[in-house]
This record gives sequence, structure tokens and C-alpha cells, in this order.
Amino acid sequence: MWDLIIANPVLNVLIALSHILGSSFGLAIIALTAVIRLILWPLTKRQLKSTKALQDMQPKMQELQKKYGKNQQKLQQEMLKLYKEAGVNPLGCLWPMLIQFPIWIALYQSIMRALATTPENLLDLARHLYSWDVVTQAIPLNSHFLWLDLGARGDIFLAVLVGGTMWVQQKMTQAPAVDPRQESTNRMMLLMMPLMFGLLSLSFPAGLGLYWAVSNILGIVTQYFVTGGWGYLKFRSPLPPKSSKEKRIAGTDRK
Amino acid sequence: MKRLSVLFFFVMGLFCLLLVSCFGGGQPMGGWAGVTVHEGVIYAGSRDGKVVALNASAIAENASAQALLWEWPEGTGTRSLIYTTPVVNGELVYVGTYDGRLYALTAARGVERWVYPRSGSIGSIVGKPVVADDTIYVTSSDGRVYALDITYGDLKWRSEPLAVKLWTSAAVTDDAVFVSTFDGWIYGLSKDTGQKLDWSYKSRAGFASSPVVYKDIVYVGSFDNSLYGIRIGDNEPVWRFSAGRWFWAAPVVGNATVYAGCLDGKVYAVEANTGRKLWEFDTGKPVVCSPVMADGALIVVNEAGNVYVINPETGIGERIENASNGGKSTIGVQVKAAFCAVDGVLYVRAEDNKLYVVNVAERSVSEPIPLTK
Repeated sequence: MWDLIIANPVLNVLIALSHILGSSFGLAIIALTAVIRLILWPLTKRQLKSTKALQDMQPKMQELQKKYGKNQQKLQQEMLKLYKEAGVNPLGCLWPMLIQFPIWIALYQSIMRALATTPENLLDLARHLYSWDVVTQAIPLNSHFLWLDLGARGDIFLAVLVGGTMWVQQKMTQAPAVDPRQESTNRMMLLMMPLMFGLLSLSFPAGLGLYWAVSNILGIVTQYFVTGGWGYLKFRSPLPPKSSKEKRIAGTDRK
Repeated sequence: MKRLSVLFFFVMGLFCLLLVSCFGGGQPMGGWAGVTVHEGVIYAGSRDGKVVALNASAIAENASAQALLWEWPEGTGTRSLIYTTPVVNGELVYVGTYDGRLYALTAARGVERWVYPRSGSIGSIVGKPVVADDTIYVTSSDGRVYALDITYGDLKWRSEPLAVKLWTSAAVTDDAVFVSTFDGWIYGLSKDTGQKLDWSYKSRAGFASSPVVYKDIVYVGSFDNSLYGIRIGDNEPVWRFSAGRWFWAAPVVGNATVYAGCLDGKVYAVEANTGRKLWEFDTGKPVVCSPVMADGALIVVNEAGNVYVINPETGIGERIENASNGGKSTIGVQVKAAFCAVDGVLYVRAEDNKLYVVNVAERSVSEPIPLTK
């Protein structure tokens, strides 16, 4: 069922695009990335609107910070009220990613199948292809694109590109924290996600890393023009991260 | 915010789990070296990179425990995966390996007589080598054809790179060597020098199968689900026969008829000169290895391990049943490797790394014989 509904269509569309785009599998991946971004646009647009709203709320947030700076609980309540009024969802950035999970899996499978680097993979490819002329005439595919071998792993430059672009995109959209604990979570997410995707890019075929890098770049460009700037890229949180002493005190208080 | 952290790690954990456990984009490698029988000895390639020689008589007498003559390499050593079916010529057995070497072993004891190249490698060898006169021709993943002396392994010539990689076997005629490439070319090379001949042919789609030459026509399967008949010297095919999927296995030609197994599960018989379909036989599962003509019958083994005996004139055939596995499948295991038929007996190496012996006349299947421990 998975092959029928998702994997085979992605594979065949990729191969067809490759043939149309001058036998370039790399360009096909880029084109498919753009198509997926287009399909996810309604979700992305909502997320970007939230980001824009947050940016507009900055003066009000700073006022709240001045007014309730010493009362963290009250500050948190007022900030959440403000988010709710503006229609901002702190978890909003996760949904586009969750929806793309099946796409990533299908893309990974498509790259492995389409490039058919081993005899077994080439034989297996036959059972997943449609009888379109544009597909049958494209086989076998050329795995090279720019400096990349799209079926190979371990390209460090690509891994840095994936991690770096992900960091920029996240930073642009990351809403300010309402309290030091959330600030800590934000910092962790800002570091962990790019690091993880960078490492994954090293472990998986370069074609998948190319998809992630292009997707991130498209996201950055889209956001820049929709929100009219770099968002929170240059934003520095006024909240200090918790020191170890503060963490110990908080623990003692709970006792 | 604690909930946010929990959700975050849950999502990341799910993501990693999906990446690690759900990906099935690659097929495990194991090679598909087939079986050759020569003067009462069965030579088979195993899925763990060995060539095994077995005494056919011992197997016929149900003494398979005493059938092993030798295995190469000996003991627990392995060289590399083997996709090429062993080729026997005189006192030597030739086998190409995936790490890019062609070995000549003594047929009597499995001792290495020579290896080419003597150091390094030439690129993975997937297509079966072909012996003609005193030369062995082998194609390689470096895109070249190599011609070597069969006795000493000396290089006679190597062609210029003809493609990114060559995974099909060459077809050798009296004065030329023909190869098909994945990017849709058929090249004719001089048998003496390896230089390209004046004629070559370009198709709109790549060629999947090894070519077969019969009376100046090259028969070859393509990635556009078609079987082509191309007369040497022409720029257009004599005919093109379309089916449901690739013609992966090299066709067999006899009685002015081309018999071709297809990955759509059917075996087609078409007129060699016109491409007109004479009959088709549906086996239900992809036909990966070439059919074999034996004792007036066309023997086909499909990927599911079913063995069919087909009348080549009429296309009427039947499956060999195996009562021991409830009639599910003749062999009951996947088959991708080339098989061999001698004196009414089929020798099939299945994907479980065992040899199956099928007596066509008696419609019986032996107990499987493990090729390696």
C-alpha cells in the first residue's frame, strides 16, 4: 500500500522530472522540493503569519517584560495571553515537518531505487516503474550533480549546508521565550535540530541532503519576502539561560 | 513547557525510528552467480562469494554429503560477491568477481591459475565472461571490454570506455564482439583489436539484457519494456516487440524463433525475422534468468522458483509440481541465478544458497544441497 500510494508515485515523478530536465537527477530533486513546498504553502503561510504577528508584537512584549519582569509567573501568563490574541502557536513549526516525514521516507527510497547502484537494486527498480515513455527512457539515471554523487554518503560540505540553513530558518521563526525555562528549550531546539539533520545528511544519500538544503533555502527566501525581513535572526533574548545555581535553588524549592 | 520538551523529543525519536526502521529502499546484495555443468561436475557460485564444484553422480545417487570436490576460496575465506556464472573451458574454470577481478581456477582442484589484473582491479564484473577460441572476453563496470588469453590471462586488448558501466555480457561472432549498454548503444568491436567497428546502433532507451546475435541480427531487451531485433549495419531496428516490463534476461534463439523471458512474468516466442508473436506463456512472476532449450523443450524458471516445461512449437506448458512443499512452488525459494540443464536434469542455485536438482522427465525435485556451510 505504501509503495502504491506514496513511494512509487514519488519515484516515477522524480525519474520523469529527471528526463524532462536534461537527464539531471539533481535538478529533479530540486524541482520536486519546490513542488512539495508549494503543496505545503497553506500551512507555511499560516506559520509565517504567526511569525509576522510576533514581530509586530515586539513592543508590547517589551512592555510586559518591563512591567512583570520580576514576576515570572505573571509575565508568562500575560505573554501567553498575547500569543493567543495574535493567533500564535508555539508548536506551529512542527506540523510542516511532521507532514513531510512520509515524503522524506519516500524520497530516500526513491533515491536508492532510482540510482540503482547495485545489480539487485537495478533489478528491483523494474517492479516500481510506470510504463510512461518519459520514465523508461530515463533509465538508468546519472547520479552526479554539481560536486555531489547523489547516491553516496558522507559529504561534509552538504552536511554543513543542511545544518546551517536549518539553523537560519529556525532562528528566523523562533518565537521569543516567555520564561527562562522556555528559553532553555528554545536554545536546545535551535542547536539540536540543525545538528541532527547535519549528521543525518552524512549518513544518508546526498540526494536526501540536497532535498533538505534546498527546502531550507526555499523556506528562508519565502519567509524573507513574506515577513519583510530576517525575522528573529538577529534577535537576542532578554532572558538569561538558567545558571546551575538557579537550577539547584529551584530544585530545593520544589522540595 | 515541559510538555513542549516531551513533544519535541517524541517527534525526534519518532523521526529517527522511522528513518532507521522503515526504509526499504535498497535490496541486500548477495550476487546471483549461476550453475554450469561440465563433464559430470557441477560448478556453482554461492551467495557468499565462493565457487563450489560438486560431483553430479554423487548427487544423483543421493550421496550429496560426498559430492563436494572443492570450493574456492577454501575454508571461511571469501573474495567478493559473484554475479557471473562460472565458465568452463578445458581444464580451467573462469569466474569474475564484484571487486573487479577475473579468476582462472583449475577445474580439477579449484586452484588459482591466474588472476586479472594481477594487482588492483578493473571495476566490478557482473556480466558473464565469454570464451571464444583462445580468448576470454569480459565486460566491466569501468565501461570497457577486456580480451584476455585463456591460458595465461595476458591482456590482448581492452576497449575504450563504452559506457559508464557495462553489466551485460558480450556476444561474440566469428569476427566481432557486440556489447549493449545501459545508455542505449550497441557497439561492434573488432575481435582482434577491440577497436570500434564502423557500425553502432543508438536506441531511445537503454538496453537491459545482454545481446544475442543470430544470423546477423542482434536480439536484445530494453528498459522501454521492449525486445529489439536489430540487423547489424542498419540504423533502424528490424522489429520491436513490446511487453509489460523489462526484458532483463538474454533471449534464446532457435528454430528461427526468439524465446524471451520478461519481468512481466511471461515468456514470449516471436519470429526471429519479423518479431511477430507466435505465443506467450504466463508464469505469474518475473522471469529473471534466461530460458534454456533442453531435449526439445523450453525450460523456464521464474523468480518465485517455479519450473515450467514448455513446448517451443505451441507454447503449451506445465509447471513441475513439488509435493514436498504442498505444491506451492517447484523450488519454494526465489531464483535469480542462471540455471543449467543436462540430460534432462536441471541444476538451479536458489537465493537460499542451495542447489536444487530437478528431474524434468520424472517431474521430481531433490532435497536442496547447501553450497557452503
